[in-house]
Amino acid sequence: MNTLDLLTPLGALFGLLPEVIITITACIVFLVAGWRGSTPAGSRLAGWISLAGIVLSGVALSYLWLGGFSPSGIAHMVALDPFRYASLGILLIVVGLTIGISLGYMERERLLAPEYYGLILLAAVGMMLLAGAVDFIVLFLGLEVMSVAAYVLVAFDRRSPASAEAGLKYFLIGAFASAFLLYGIALLYGATGTTNIILVGVQLSSGTASLLSALGVGMLLIGFAFKVAAVPFHMWAPDVYDGAPTPVTGLMATGIKAAAFLALIRVLMQGLAPVEALWQPVISTLAILTMVIGNLVALSQRSIKRMLAYSSIAHAGYLLVAVWPGSRLGAAALLMYLLAYGITTLAAFGILAMLGRGGERDVTVDDIAGLASQRPWMAFAMAICMLSLLGFPGTFGFIAKWLVLSSAVFEGQWLLMVVMVLASVVSAGYYLPVIMAMYMRDAEPGVTYSGVTVWGAAAGVVAVAIVGIILLGLWPPDLIDLSMESAAALFQRSMPVAIQ
Amino acid sequence: MTDFLSSLGYAQWIIPVLLLVPVAGILPILLAPAAQAKRIALVVSTVVFVVSLGLWWAFDATSGNFQFAATLPWMPFWGIYYRVGIDGISLFMVLLSTAMMPLAVLGSWHYITKAERGYYALLLAMTSGMVGVFVALDLFLFYFFWELILIPMYFIIGVWGGPNRLYATIKFFLYTMFGSLLMLVAILLMVWQTAHTTGIVSFDYAFLLEHAGELGSAAPWYFAAFALAFAIKVPMVPFHTWLPDAHTEAPTAGSVLLAAVLLKMGTYGFLRFAVPLFPDVAMSPPVTALFISLAVIGIIHGALVAMVQPDVKRLVAYSSVSHMGFAMLGIWAATVQSVQGALMVMIGHGLATGALFFLVGMLYERRHSRMFADFGGLARVIPLFSLMLTITALASIGLPGLSGFVGEFLVLLGSFENHPWATGIATTGVVFAAAYMLWAVQRIIYNPLVQPENKALAGHDLNLREVLVVLPLIFGMIWLGLYPKPVLRRMEAAATRFVEFSIPRAVTVQTADGSETEGAK
Repeated sequence: MNTLDLLTPLGALFGLLPEVIITITACIVFLVAGWRGSTPAGSRLAGWISLAGIVLSGVALSYLWLGGFSPSGIAHMVALDPFRYASLGILLIVVGLTIGISLGYMERERLLAPEYYGLILLAAVGMMLLAGAVDFIVLFLGLEVMSVAAYVLVAFDRRSPASAEAGLKYFLIGAFASAFLLYGIALLYGATGTTNIILVGVQLSSGTASLLSALGVGMLLIGFAFKVAAVPFHMWAPDVYDGAPTPVTGLMATGIKAAAFLALIRVLMQGLAPVEALWQPVISTLAILTMVIGNLVALSQRSIKRMLAYSSIAHAGYLLVAVWPGSRLGAAALLMYLLAYGITTLAAFGILAMLGRGGERDVTVDDIAGLASQRPWMAFAMAICMLSLLGFPGTFGFIAKWLVLSSAVFEGQWLLMVVMVLASVVSAGYYLPVIMAMYMRDAEPGVTYSGVTVWGAAAGVVAVAIVGIILLGLWPPDLIDLSMESAAALFQRSMPVAIQ
Repeated sequence: MTDFLSSLGYAQWIIPVLLLVPVAGILPILLAPAAQAKRIALVVSTVVFVVSLGLWWAFDATSGNFQFAATLPWMPFWGIYYRVGIDGISLFMVLLSTAMMPLAVLGSWHYITKAERGYYALLLAMTSGMVGVFVALDLFLFYFFWELILIPMYFIIGVWGGPNRLYATIKFFLYTMFGSLLMLVAILLMVWQTAHTTGIVSFDYAFLLEHAGELGSAAPWYFAAFALAFAIKVPMVPFHTWLPDAHTEAPTAGSVLLAAVLLKMGTYGFLRFAVPLFPDVAMSPPVTALFISLAVIGIIHGALVAMVQPDVKRLVAYSSVSHMGFAMLGIWAATVQSVQGALMVMIGHGLATGALFFLVGMLYERRHSRMFADFGGLARVIPLFSLMLTITALASIGLPGLSGFVGEFLVLLGSFENHPWATGIATTGVVFAAAYMLWAVQRIIYNPLVQPENKALAGHDLNLREVLVVLPLIFGMIWLGLYPKPVLRRMEAAATRFVEFSIPRAVTVQTADGSETEGAK
């Protein structure tokens, strides 16, 4: 067990090594952008440099993780615990997969500016800070770094009005949400006199909940609810997801959402655990609304991208179920679900990106009729993704969903469970038609998929994801153990809670 | 034979082999040329069947316990293990599953012309899934297989089915999934509650069975969730509406497997889980009354609706609703005879209805129609087909000397004492069965031979492959009808155990020591 003093510059640098590496890589990518310009070769080069940065950051992360580094005293600014390491691991995987999908997509759509990859990396740094922060100020900084990069990424397709509209909407709503969050932080600071999340927890547990802290918690929750697109704060999501370039949509649905959830659960469990009674009803209400409305609205979508956008709202509802208990099992379930949902969704967006034929925005369910007979592997991969999103046994999605259900049941909460399984039945109503279109309907006359190009990197991403989905669906125990160990970290400095 | 099998260590490897060999067979199918897929599938499924036959001898009929049992860790932290075993109830379900599969492959030989590799791969995947459902003794494992089986069937109906297949397949999927997800909730809640009282998290069937008496006021809810999942699968009235659609649209082998094996998963679920886990609820007077009434309504409703169907396949589908009503009646009458009868109905229905669907399929391949109006007088042109159809129909009706009779008779005999009225009404179901089935046979193979398409069938009688598909089933019907004793003997211990378990536990305590305390034995 190594300790690091986060108050010294060297200690902080060391503790932030994964983030630092990504930041440096982002700077290099921007230099490449200036040097090579907007050419296919420049874009490719930037993409591969970014991937290398992700891998390098992963190496640094595993060094920290395996070395078991922990802070001397309480953590300042960023956490140094297995939960942060697990969070960063998920985020790096998700960002890496996104870059893999982007390589071919950006070239086909003639979006050749290498800055794209730099922005993705900056968004990644933001996500990592957000997910690892133990101080509200760092949390807010992470959120802003991530969001500002994401605003640009959403609007990256300058020629597309939809993309511009999505960028503007996302910016306005994002700024609004940030304001709520910041206000909440300020109120909590007023109530407790500190911005350190762990110390906030200590302060809150010693006194009774004041009106000030209750207001602060409420504002915080609203801010987070906007970020994770929980109903009724979800209105922006479908348009933004629909308008953004497909890989960016994938990143938003997985990475940005994951980072927000990871920050949320850390804040709730380490900082706000003493005022559980304040936020638990809010979370469960949000969860139920999100599951029900997200799934029902997704039913009526014809465009697959839009369907996945609504389904991503529905999945936020399932994730809220894991957040609700504030337990170690819940945190472990959240980690597993974010990973399962992340790789599955990105694989689905990767396939979708390949299926979209240059400039054509919407791939509808009818557009993929008969895909299985002409592109059997692509159809197979898409089918596995749909089943995993549905939570079908034999896929990683099932294991994750089962853990989330267990986390609710171990608190004796049956209502959330029942709503969640019924919502899952509803979700079969929009995931299955995708499979049915590919396998059970014949291609429209004259439709061939010869124009569909398969890009090496994206195909690799999809293949890795599919293998992962199936293997982890059949043999999850090791990963579950790992996530349970990581989740235990959230309890170290707050309430000593016995684990079943 | 028994010595020979034990010298091979049969009991140790048989269940893993039955689970893994079919799945392993998928790989060569996907690699080989499409034209070879059916041959590989036939070889694999025949091997699996032959190997599974050893269960017949290796099974110890005197024991009511689980045999060939094995336990391996899967997710030990959660109390989830690979736990399997076979008793007198699951023995025949496993044999039925493995026996139907080579026939299903053979019966699809020329019927399936597109995407053959996928089709036969799915059939093999389904074999593993079906065996898994019947051998699983861990509730998580059971749920895993139970859901997994949906996928192959969903594709088989949806890809190779009739014109209205999309509607039928999603209806089938949603109905089943709705029930089974609620069952998952019940499983989790039950495990959690047991973990609270005992301190042990376990999905072990035996462990939960032992502690199921401590569930208290939540038990009715759990039972309701289990019962709903199984009742949809059986299917019991009023959850049966997916069945005629699925049957009508499915390709022949799909209908056969649906009728012969998948429906049995529902009754098996009642026998294995819903009733033994919650006997206090299941056998309480109102619930018994409800299920017995639904069973009887199913028998009569299925028979009456079958009578007016213009489509042969729909008729057979509704006859399934009627026959499965007998199985449900036998389970809820809860005497050793009636439970054995229910099991015999399950086997007999599997054979007879399977054969009926095969025969209808063969007719469809020749005439491209399933409407009664298009047939008539076929006995004069295709006599062999007509003979087999007649025997099968008689077995389905329950003619003494054929399989259907033994099961229905035992059910009625075993149920009469406690439920005379219900049994009396159910008996009329046999009469209705005779009516719709004989009338159906009359309209197909008797009546005047007028239509030119039917006259043209002369010389197109069943070929050797088709005879090989139906003949084993007919052999089974006759054997079970004439000499069911060896089968009944193997069921008896398990049926007795089921009946013991289905006596409400609270009552047992009262009669044992006269105390009023409720709870476990």
